[in-house]
Amino acid sequence: MRRIYESDALRRDDGPFSPTEVKRQKRPQRNGTGEPSFLSKFIPQAMANKAVYVSVTTPRKTYPRGVPIPFSVHFKNSMPFSVSIPTKSPLLWTWNIDEIIEASHVSVRDPPDETDRFGFNRGERKTFTRRWSQSFRLTDSTWEPAATGRYTIGVGINVDDPVSAGLYDEVTIEIVDE
Amino acid sequence: MALLEIKDLTVRFYTQEGVVTAVDNLSYQIKRGEKFGVVGESGAGKSVTALSLMRLIDSPGRIESGEILFKGQNILDMTEKEVRSLRGNEISMIFQDAQTALNPVYTVGEQISEAMRHHLGYSNEEARERSIQLLDQVGIPEAETRYSDYPHEFSGGMQQRAVIAMALSCDPDLLLCDEPTTALDVTIETQILDLIEELADEFDTAVQLITHDLGVVADICDRVMVMYAGKPVEKAPVEELYYDPKHPYTVGLMSSIPRVGDTRDRLQTIPGTMPDLVELPPGCSFHPRCPFAEDACTTTEPALIDIESSDEATVDSSRAAACLEYTDQLQNGLDYEVRVVDENTGSEMNPTQTGGSQNV
Ligand code: SF4
Repeated sequence: MRRIYESDALRRDDGPFSPTEVKRQKRPQRNGTGEPSFLSKFIPQAMANKAVYVSVTTPRKTYPRGVPIPFSVHFKNSMPFSVSIPTKSPLLWTWNIDEIIEASHVSVRDPPDETDRFGFNRGERKTFTRRWSQSFRLTDSTWEPAATGRYTIGVGINVDDPVSAGLYDEVTIEIVDE
Repeated sequence: MALLEIKDLTVRFYTQEGVVTAVDNLSYQIKRGEKFGVVGESGAGKSVTALSLMRLIDSPGRIESGEILFKGQNILDMTEKEVRSLRGNEISMIFQDAQTALNPVYTVGEQISEAMRHHLGYSNEEARERSIQLLDQVGIPEAETRYSDYPHEFSGGMQQRAVIAMALSCDPDLLLCDEPTTALDVTIETQILDLIEELADEFDTAVQLITHDLGVVADICDRVMVMYAGKPVEKAPVEELYYDPKHPYTVGLMSSIPRVGDTRDRLQTIPGTMPDLVELPPGCSFHPRCPFAEDACTTTEPALIDIESSDEATVDSSRAAACLEYTDQLQNGLDYEVRVVDENTGSEMNPTQTGGSQNV
């Protein structure tokens, strides 16, 4: 597990009561958005969008009821130079079930009202995994199990219209009674 | 007025893997001179809470909501200059690793003096004299000579003593100790804990002690908050927590307290690991590890309930726990039993309270 002391998210200065730098080389990158490289600033946005592929996959197509469904989210920059996609907030990408963001009928978080960037080095691939618990959040504190049937898992970069921008993918799975 | 009051604090980290909710809607208070323990496994949000108090969280971390009132003033609304004068002066911190706090290029004495010159306006000579006195007080032999030593010339235990001297140099009202003894062996651990307790009493300093070890809390604290996955799951005066724990996670932590001659790995007695804070399980975050979990636990997140009134807990609630048991939503209830055994005689001191077969 990544510890706060190893992260980049600590204010460090010379004051005696803020932590000093330790073992910098082991620290993970900032949120990966990073500053856009010098070159990527000159790449037209439409081209940057085309450069990045988004895909979502599941190990199987059908799952018995109640079993969490794992899915992998892949992002790939196909260009030999770095690109970055401006996002609506520091939330860089989102997933949804049948267009319900993070399978929740209530907004679970309130990302800061500021834009950010999802940055990729040349040819970089990023893969993240998630699990859908087969339930939908109804309120802040209650969930309801999903019924059997087909569901679409969608993943998109957090831009205005990820589908038209080509920064979206989806996969359909089925929940069945065993 | 409480010395420190945290209200609905939420801290998130926006990473490319997803959003980590490190602290979720957390509220608690610490009174003047009180020793308050924050307990939980790694990843429970304890350190993030302490660092938020010092406003040391930086991007991609964000304090998204809440208030941190120190003597009635919201730290989150202060200017950077105001926070800097608070840090190390009225609130000081002892980190897990003394090396994190000590700057390797300055002598130990110089670092203690610097804080006093900066915050208290001491002259060089006054600061030096007081630093030597403090080094002596925290048990560093030949304090006058060691004043000019560099941190690497001190052993781990001595470094932590020097950090304590530094933390107390400006007579703070609140001392945040984050796993102050984790890097030390057991004998030194006891000495350092005794020292913190003794000096906190002497200086009338409130202490927030963060640890993964309930045994450490028992030695020092008046009240305890147990955290799991960024949220408080139980709050209680320390004695009540030991004799009558109300949350299954607390019970699990208690059975992990090592006893003399016990060579088990400490936290292995709670099966499973802390959930990934990017995607918490639905319902009660503890349900995948809880021996009492029922279907309801997978669909309903328990609120923190005041055990006496059965209403939602407030910062004033002396005993509170977040389990569906306290809103009558469990069918089978919690069924554990606490046995308090005298370590010396092996006899039971207080035969069975409700609820596991945890020997504590
Ligand atoms: S609510 Fe359920 S899962 Fe959570 S602690 Fe209580 S019994 Fe265990």
